[in-house]
Order: sequence, then C-alpha cells, then structure tokens
Amino acid sequence: MKNRRSPVKTIVGVVLTAIMLFPLYWMVNVSLTKPSDLRKDPPNLFPFDPNFDGYARVLSEQLPYLGTSLIVGLGTVILTVALAAPAAFALAKLQPRGGTVLNFVLLTAQMIPGIIMAMGFYLIFNNWGMLDTIPGLILADSTLAVPFGVLIFTAFMTGIPDELISAAKIDGAGAWRTFRSIVLPVSRNSVVTVSLFAFLWAWSDFIFASTLNRGGDLQPITMGIYRYIGNNTQDWNAIMATAVVASVPAAVLLVLAQRYVAAGVTAGAVKD
Amino acid sequence: MIQRGNIVAITARQVRTIGALTLGAALVGTLAACSAPAAETSSSFTLWDPYPDRDGDSTWAKAVDACATDLDITIERTASNTGDTVKDLTTASSNLPDVALVDNPKVSTLADAGILTTAKDNGLDVSNIEPNILSAGEIDGQVYGVPAGANTLGLYYNPTVLAAAGVDIASVTDYASLTAALEKVVASGAKGITFSAVGTEEGTFQFLPWFWGAGADLTALDSSEAQSALTLWTDWVKNGLAPNSVISNTQGTSWDEFLTGEYAFAENGSWFKSAADEAGYESIQIPGIDGGAAPAPTGGEFLTIPVQKDTARYATSIKIVECLSGGDTAATALGYVAPTADGQAAQLAADPSLEFWINAVGDAKPRTADNLGVKYSVISEQLYTAIQNALSGAATPADALTEAQTAAAEKLK
Amino acid sequence: MSASRTVERSARGTGEAASKDVASPARRKPYSTRLKPQLVAWAFIAPVVIYLAVFYAYPLFRNLDLSFRDYTLRSFIDGTAPFVWFDNYIEVLGSSTFMPALINTAVFTVVSIVFQFSIGLALAVFFFKNFPLGNTLRALFLVPWLLPLLVSASIWAWMLNSESGVINAVIEAFGGTQVNWLTSPQWAIVSVLIANIWIGIPFNLVILYSGLQNIPGEVYEAASLDGAGAWQTFWKITFPLLRPVSAITILLGLVYTLKVFDIIWIMTKGGPGNSSTTFAIWSYRLGFGGGSPDLSPAAAVGNLLILLAFAFGLIYIRAQRREARS
Repeated sequence: MKNRRSPVKTIVGVVLTAIMLFPLYWMVNVSLTKPSDLRKDPPNLFPFDPNFDGYARVLSEQLPYLGTSLIVGLGTVILTVALAAPAAFALAKLQPRGGTVLNFVLLTAQMIPGIIMAMGFYLIFNNWGMLDTIPGLILADSTLAVPFGVLIFTAFMTGIPDELISAAKIDGAGAWRTFRSIVLPVSRNSVVTVSLFAFLWAWSDFIFASTLNRGGDLQPITMGIYRYIGNNTQDWNAIMATAVVASVPAAVLLVLAQRYVAAGVTAGAVKD
Repeated sequence: MIQRGNIVAITARQVRTIGALTLGAALVGTLAACSAPAAETSSSFTLWDPYPDRDGDSTWAKAVDACATDLDITIERTASNTGDTVKDLTTASSNLPDVALVDNPKVSTLADAGILTTAKDNGLDVSNIEPNILSAGEIDGQVYGVPAGANTLGLYYNPTVLAAAGVDIASVTDYASLTAALEKVVASGAKGITFSAVGTEEGTFQFLPWFWGAGADLTALDSSEAQSALTLWTDWVKNGLAPNSVISNTQGTSWDEFLTGEYAFAENGSWFKSAADEAGYESIQIPGIDGGAAPAPTGGEFLTIPVQKDTARYATSIKIVECLSGGDTAATALGYVAPTADGQAAQLAADPSLEFWINAVGDAKPRTADNLGVKYSVISEQLYTAIQNALSGAATPADALTEAQTAAAEKLK
Repeated sequence: MSASRTVERSARGTGEAASKDVASPARRKPYSTRLKPQLVAWAFIAPVVIYLAVFYAYPLFRNLDLSFRDYTLRSFIDGTAPFVWFDNYIEVLGSSTFMPALINTAVFTVVSIVFQFSIGLALAVFFFKNFPLGNTLRALFLVPWLLPLLVSASIWAWMLNSESGVINAVIEAFGGTQVNWLTSPQWAIVSVLIANIWIGIPFNLVILYSGLQNIPGEVYEAASLDGAGAWQTFWKITFPLLRPVSAITILLGLVYTLKVFDIIWIMTKGGPGNSSTTFAIWSYRLGFGGGSPDLSPAAAVGNLLILLAFAFGLIYIRAQRREARS
C-alpha cells in the first residue's frame, strides 16, 4: 500500500514545496531583471533578458561579508552550545534549587525586543572596547539562541533515562564526566538542532550587526546588503543577487544536515 | 555513603574550579581577542556618512581621501543607512565622530540635543556658502554645519510618451493644465505621473512643492491651500492618473517605475539627472497652482562637527569640512549642486547641461526655514501621515489635514 | 482501555519505565537537599546566569529607567533626565494610537500563530510518513529561514505591489480587480500577516516534526489494532500526545511574533496611517522612526510589549502546572 501511495505524496510534496519557495524563485527573477523592467506592469514571470550585473557586483564585493557571516555564525553556534548544554544538563538532571525560576527567566529573556537589547549592548560593549569586533558580534548574536537552546536541551535531556546517569555515578564518574561522556554523545541530535537554530538566527541578524558593528572591517552579509541601498537609490539586482548567493551554501548545508535535525529532539517534552 | 560523599565533594570542588577557570578564561580571552581601541593620535579623524553604496573606489571616497592627503591626516570613513543617522549618533554619544554628514532636516534635531557644535564654537567659516542652502543648518541664529551640496525636486517627463499622447510640454503651466495633460496621456493608453508618497520624510519632501506651490504654510496644515494641494494628489490616484503604488513608493522605486517607459511624468530629484540624460528624459520645474514655478525643498546632507572631548580637534575638523564643501569635487561626486557660487560655476563649466538644476536649487527653499527648526520634524511626521490617510482612502483630505494639524499643535505645545 | 494504557506507558519513555518501578535501595530523595550536589548543579548553571544578568537584565533595566524618566536626545549628552514616574505610561495609554496598535498586535499575533501552527502541523504530519524525496523537500522548506529579513520582507513587498506585483498580475489574469495589498487600510495587515506566516512556518515545522518523531510507534500500532481510522488516530492520540510540544511551540511563537518588527516596517512602515501598526512598530516609530525621537514613550511601549509577553508566559506556566497535576 505504501508504494502505491508514495508517488502521489511525492507529487503533492513537490507542489507544496514549490508554492512555499515561490518567493525565492521571484527573488532570483528580480536579481536577473534589467533595471528598466523592474517595475513593469505586469511583471515578467521569467527573466527573458537576464542582466547579470547584480551577480557581477556581488561576486566581486560580497565574498568577504559572506566569510564574516560564516565565522560569526559558527562562533555563535559554539558559544551557544557551550553555554546552553551544561546549564540544561543541570536543569534536567541535577535538580538545582530555583530551577523552575531559571526556566521562567529564560523564557522571559526572549521577550525583550531586539532594539532594546542592542542599545543596552552598545553601552556594555563600548565600555569593554568590543564594538566593531567579531567576538562582540558573536556574543550579541548568541543572546538570540542561548535561552532557546537551554529550553531544547533541557527538554531533550529530561528524556535521557536516569538509569544511564546512575550507572555512570556507580562507576565513579562525577557530574562533569557524566555530562561529557554520557549525556553529550546521546544528545547529538539536539546539539545539531540547537546549532541549526543558532546559526540561522546569527546569519540573518541585522539589528545587532547594525548597532554594534557599523564600522568594523569585517561585517556580516546583512550589512553588506546595505552597500546597495543608497540614501536615494537602491540597486535591486545586486540586493537580490546577494540574497541568492548567500542562500545557496546555507541551503546545501540544510539539506545535508536535515537527517540529524529530525529524530528525538524533543524527547522528554512529552514527559513533563 | 561517606565514600559517595567524598567523590561528590571532590567533584564539586573540581567542577567549581573548572567552572570558574573556564568562565575566567572565556572572559579574558574575549577581552583579549578584541582589537584594542584605535589609539587616538591627533592625525586620525573619523567621518560618518550615509552613503553605504559608495565604496572605496567611488568618487566620493576619493574626494575624502584627497582632502585627507591635503591635510596630511588619515580620515576613517564609516557609512551606514541614512535612516539610522539619528539613532547611530545618539547611541554613540560618548564617542562621536569628528565629522558627521546629516540629512538636512535632521540637523536641528541633533543640534537641539547638543550633539553638534556651532560655527562659533569650532571656528568654521561659512561666508562662501549660498544662503538658501545654508539656512537649513541655521537655528536661532547659530550655524550648525555646512551643506555638502544641495539637491532639489523637479518634474521629469518622457518626451516619447507625451508625443504619442499629443501633449505639448509648454502647455503644462499649472495644476489644471498638468491634470489635463495627464488625462490625455492616460487616454492614449500610457500612465500618468509617478511620485513618492511613502510614510517617511521622503513623502513630505515630495509633497512640499505642491504644498508650497498652492500657497500653504507648514504652520497651518489644515488651511484651504493645503487641502487643494492634497486633493490634487488624491484625485490623481482616485482617477487613475497616478498609480496606487505611490503610497508605498520610495523615490528610488518611483524612478524605477518611470524607467519602464510607461509613465509620462515623474517627480524626482536632481540626483537622477545622468540617468535621465541616458534615457532621453527631460525636466521642467514643478508648476505652482496658478502658474509659475513652485518652491521646491532643498535636500542634501550637511557636514557637521559633533561635540568632542578634545576641543583641539576642531581646528582640523573644520579644515576637513572646508575642503569637502569648497570647490565642486565632493558635491559632484555625490550628484549634488555645489554649495558655493564658485563651486557652482565650476560645475557649470564642466557640464553646461547642469544649468537647469543649478537654477532650480537657487530657487529652492529649505524645509526648516521660517525658523521652524526642530518643529519641522514633528510637523513633517503629521503631514506624511495625513498624506497616507488621504491617499489610501482612510480619511478625506480635509479630515486628514485637520487631524494632522491638531496632532502637530498638541505635540509642539 | 488498552490503547490509553499503552499511551501512558510509552509516554514515560521506552522500556525503562518498568525498571523505575523497582524502588532503588538506599534513598528515595537522593540529591535534592544536599548542599554539595546543589553547588555542582549551580556550577553548571553559573555561566548562563551571569550571561543572563549581564546581557538581558542590564538592557531591561536600562529600558525601565528610560521609561520612568523623561529622556530627550540631549540626555544622552549631558546625562540629565528627570524622573517622571508613570507619566510616559499615561501618555502612551491615552494616545490615539494605543487602541489601534493593541488591536493590530492582537490580530497579528493570534492570526499568525493560528496559521503558522496549523500549517506547520499539517506539513509535519504530511512529511511524517516518509516518501521518496520527503527528506529533501522537508529540508527545502527551511530555506526561507536563511534569508535576512530585509530580503524576505522586500520580496513580499515586491510581489504584493499594487501595480507591478506578480500576485496582482495573476489575479488580474484571472479576471479579478487589482488589490491594493500594501497601501489600503484594510489589506495592509493582511499582507504583513501573509509574509509573517510564511516566515514562521519552518520553525513550527521543525519542532512539531520532531515532536511527532518522538511518539513511539507502538502507540500507532495499538491504535490501528483497536481499529482507529487516520483522522481518529490524529485527534485522539497524536494531538494529545503532542500537547507539551505544541504548548511550547505556541508560546515561543507568541513571544517571537510579539517582537516582529522588520517585516512590517519594511513592507508598510505600519501604514497607511496606523492600519498595520503593532506595539513593536509603534515603539520604534516613537523612538527613531518618526519625526522626533521620543525615547521615553518608546521605552514605555517596549515595556508594555514585554509585559504582554510576560502575561502569556504566566498563562503557559499555569497551564503546564495544571497539566502536571492531572
């Protein structure tokens, strides 16, 4: 029965994906449209007369920005996991006093709008001399992901059977050893998921980059796009081309990583 | 149990040490990894401008570098979005740049905040600057900066579309004849006029020539003159003479619409002159309600000198400003009309076709004139809100303007 | 009823549930009251707590400070800002923008969540039983997430343009009349909703899909043995089991949607007039987006936003406690 249904499901799946990704197709379309056709009524459904100027500009100007975004993204991932995983382990397994309060605080922390955070960070970073630096931006971007990371890790780690932990303790392992050798390896899927979220949120962050890294030599891609937005004019070919070029490697990464994101990430949420 | 306790005790201590060490190392590492703040030598100056689209190879950047070489200093340039200027300068209030380029209607806001120094404070010489361009930076008799150049608005037209519709441009002399021309164009199958009525300062900027051309004044948004100006726009949109997209158009988007070749007229700025020349478009001054040219607003950024802790820096900062505002290199690089008579003469000599725009700028009026100063921004916000409400049909022009005037008066109390 | 028993057992984790019933020999409450284990636990948590204090508490405190004083731009230079206590809040609550912003925020948030969640859930269920290309397609669904918001919002603004947008072109090709998506007071909020829902679907899809993955297969086997149909299985078994995951997804979605700013600002700037202005937009407009920088009222609106999110957080905790008790 499964085999007979699959082609139908695949076709429906492709159609649904096509609808969802239509705006991305439009993005590619705009990136290739020549300037005098940009606001044509009705618009061309397909760029019959493609204009590659946008891509030429992007490939010659934006690669450093892409590189910076990559570094910031990876840095954010490492920092987020390093901060969130141990804390989640404690919340899930070590039953600290005040654990529920901390959970609530983490939830509340995510409610603060970005502009408020950015302005506060400016003052802090200014005092620490961290404005216009990559580590500073990594630190700021991690605030987007750490509370969420703790939530996900806690949910997952709660689902790890207590017997595994007890067995380790009987063997004489301390909390840190248990965490490092038992819990982390088992949590591989949630590590990948949290990493995914952290990377994507850091990759598309604009508010922190624009407030905290305005003058740095190395700026992320969200600031790079502003090179095409002048005070009176915008170069849409280049803007859309930047978006296309920025999306392709990350999309490939997503497709490759998706199998790990799937399984068991919210194990334990059911137990709560 | 004791054995258990010991293991846990050891572990706890270890963990605490590890934890503290890790945290300490992380903090130290972060602090060390970041670059040390640039040593403030007396020969390195910072300049902030709103031209992120002009990179290191652009004529503007080269003009800045040329000034730096002339003065034997280094100028570090940071460019960001023009909409963020006030926010950026406010957030950076403890370490402001030496020179900041500020969009002219925002100068009074920043001056009022005490972020900018006056010509009296820093010793800037403004005697050469054309008065009608300079006055946007004058508040209560003090001058807060010098224009990098000026631009203004005009009415571009597409001769091909007009010819096909049988419209003679010479017949467009006032509101009525312009509307008639638009009707003829639309009847011939093309589109009428495009402009920008977006809910930001750009919208007010584009509306002002019609507003002032009808005889209205910014201190009385609900006057009958103001209503006739706004009704002109709302009727155009209602009758299909202007597209609905004007409500969300920026000036750049409006220009893209004009570039499709489907439109007869576009109200836009002098910065598109070279694009217009390339496409074969021409321009006239925006007509007033009963004829004559309507006063158009001046645009363009001001070179300002923000407050510095080390006041000795002003001496060099004013030289940077004088270098960039003198002559015509910087202004031409930005696509503006030069702010001094000499600069304008040089621009005219280099390109005689600039005559139209140089004259237009000479006839233009600053937005913060009539000593509106800081009040302008408040009034402008109410005005573009009224335009949005009227054009989108949420309110009639009369109601929208009355509401705007009430709100403005309330906020300015 | 064997099905629900199966559910309970599976809900407590695979197989290990049995061994838990055997009482461990020495103690019944091993760690909770001993000091040293508490210190161990807190050593793990300490970095995050310090992190929270520095990076969240401080900006929040500054924002509260901003809202209780009268800050002008000048205050940033000379540091003077008199205390006005609740004046800013009174001004904000009495402003003519308050009601429209409140209604828009409520509508925007509720409609976004409803659609993001249901579409995300429907897609999660659709992708659940694997089929050829299923994994790749599901990964492709996440691509919209990669785009900087500036780009996503701009593309939607492009597509929804009254004259040159492709959506109107399609509508007109089918004989309809042009819809002024971004420029009419009625449609502006719909337009930003469409864009926001589109952007929010991947998040819901990923979390709900993982939640589905976590429901053990035996549950479905037991259900089909009992003769339950697909629809029944979904509503009586899958959905209730997904409730904790759904709750956290909805809560997070709510918190994130309340903060949404870029999408609306880039597409409509909260306009025309106030028709798509939410609290986040209003706060920005008061601060730096409008005519004059009214930073203190902006901070007040920002705090009202946080309060609103906080209220939802409390509701969630209450619901969770009630669930745990039952």
